[in-house]
Amino acid sequence: MDFELSKEHKMLRKAVRLFAEKKVAPRALEIDEKGEFPFDITEEMGRMGLIGLVNSGSYGGNGMGHLARMIVIEELSRIFPSLGFFFQAGNLLMFAIESFGNEDQKKKLLPGFCSGKTIGAFAVTEASGGSDPTTMMTTAVRDGHGYTVNGRKTFITNPEVADYLGFLCRTEDKFSVFYVEKGTKGYEVTRREPRPGFRCIPVNELVFADCWLPKDNLIGQEGKGLNAAFTTISTIGRTGAAGVALGAMQGAYDGALKFCKERIMYGQPVANLQAIQFALADMNTEIEATRWLCYLAAWMLDRGKSPREIAPEISRAKLYSVDMALKNCIRAQQLMGAYGQSPEYRVEIFLRDMLELLTAGGTQEIMRVTIGRSITS
Amino acid sequence: MNLIVCIKQVPDPLYFDRITLDTVTKLVKREGVPLIMNPNDLNAIETAIQIKDTYGGKITVLSMGPPQSMEVLEEALALGADEAILLSDRAFAGADAVATSYTLASAIKKFCEFDLILCGYETVDSGTRQVGPQLAEYLDIPHVTGVRSFKIENPEYLIAERRLENGYMKIEVILPALIAVYNDANDPRIPTVSGIMNVASKSLKTYGLNEVGLISADVGLAGSPTQMAEMSEFKQKRRHEVFQGVPKEIVKQAIARLKELQAI
Repeated sequence: MDFELSKEHKMLRKAVRLFAEKKVAPRALEIDEKGEFPFDITEEMGRMGLIGLVNSGSYGGNGMGHLARMIVIEELSRIFPSLGFFFQAGNLLMFAIESFGNEDQKKKLLPGFCSGKTIGAFAVTEASGGSDPTTMMTTAVRDGHGYTVNGRKTFITNPEVADYLGFLCRTEDKFSVFYVEKGTKGYEVTRREPRPGFRCIPVNELVFADCWLPKDNLIGQEGKGLNAAFTTISTIGRTGAAGVALGAMQGAYDGALKFCKERIMYGQPVANLQAIQFALADMNTEIEATRWLCYLAAWMLDRGKSPREIAPEISRAKLYSVDMALKNCIRAQQLMGAYGQSPEYRVEIFLRDMLELLTAGGTQEIMRVTIGRSITS
Repeated sequence: MNLIVCIKQVPDPLYFDRITLDTVTKLVKREGVPLIMNPNDLNAIETAIQIKDTYGGKITVLSMGPPQSMEVLEEALALGADEAILLSDRAFAGADAVATSYTLASAIKKFCEFDLILCGYETVDSGTRQVGPQLAEYLDIPHVTGVRSFKIENPEYLIAERRLENGYMKIEVILPALIAVYNDANDPRIPTVSGIMNVASKSLKTYGLNEVGLISADVGLAGSPTQMAEMSEFKQKRRHEVFQGVPKEIVKQAIARLKELQAI
């Protein structure tokens, strides 16, 4: 066994940490307050090559892999979880096209996504739910050389800012994945959901009303969409959510530790008090445990394991990281007293953001179902 | 244009409080202190990359230090340098500015062709600002320190703006030359993913005493005219006083107190 990160991974972590601290941290509070998508920052991440980490060099990515992506999400989320969440959602369509799309789609769409010049979104969830596709109402019906799409998707990350949206829908009695370009007749983003966290990343409702799409917009084979969507959400969405939780928890811990070392009570830093040390020790241990669950899932993906093969590993990473992040963001707030509830100290932002992760990429309960089935079957 | 950038691995200033002194060996104990590239050297690398982007050429980064200094050379390669040379040998240890610049100059003469050498203006650990000028002297080339910007008019010379306390001076320098870049010269870039991934394909060579063609008496501690005679720890004691009231009143109180303490 080797728990050592490669030289490249270490350099990547250092570079992203520098980027996050230098370019993101000074603006994070303002961006969160305004709730405006930070296009300039995502474009800069594109220029740095951070967005196309799991896309191949032939299409504008660099193929550094899933562990590299996990490290990037972790480091960005340590400073500003919304940016990590951008990866969680923004990479979905990129992965779906790279894994299931045809050559024309890859050449047309991926270089723009990887460079940060265009943004993607991916829609599965509807008002009736997201985890059970049998309730899905959106349909694509063959119509000449294409399909006519009707339906409504809810709680979708990014559509408002996305140039392209991938989505899962019914085609006859099976499911298929398509993409639609912003501005296409019959496709409309109808509402921005008010959310507690990730305020600068829009979560939208969108509607297809007799939206005609050419057959070129079908990603993969007709009727094989369920596998494509599951693979995409598991590989990108769940690992992404895990990375965001890991990074945010680390950020909350770093803030609390600094505070406890500087906060003087009864003539000494509160970090000297054993009760505080116990809390910090628990946080530190839980962060390390989370980190290795997250890295393991990403490392296995890099070794060519399919998300179906390692569904328990991915689910454990998502389940545990989000549970621990919520617990430890609250703990960090407690350690910082009233300061912990001030956005200036960022833990308040982290905590709000973590609430979003309870459902992003699949609920905690679905993660438990996946793990439970794997150990009882 | 062939460019050489001299860089150094130094303790991270954020962790200077962890540095202790060994009064017996008279050495600074840096164990457990994270090491980084000297921040000002990043300005020198950024300058070199900008020159290369404009005029073409090759950037060689050069450092003297223990094997772990490889990390900062790799960082420089990730930023855009083309090749790296590490001078590493037990005999080089304990070098002062003279022995350091002599070793660097000897390696440059042996292994490199150059039109321009760039250094950071100063290091955060020793801060002598002497290695750049001494290196230029050993190589018998002109140098300018504290450079905040410059123009290369043609391959023959450059015009540098040198920072002064209350202004700046323009200096025309014939190439080859050395410039020590000030920390406000530019905003150093952050490595890209492709830069990081390309490091493995770039040349990074390590040379020791024999390969550079030196003898141990001329380098490291033995070759250093300055030797540590004595060292003692300075315990800094701080106290604070709190003034209360409206800002105007607080300022008055603070000024009066500072005068009382003869601080102003």
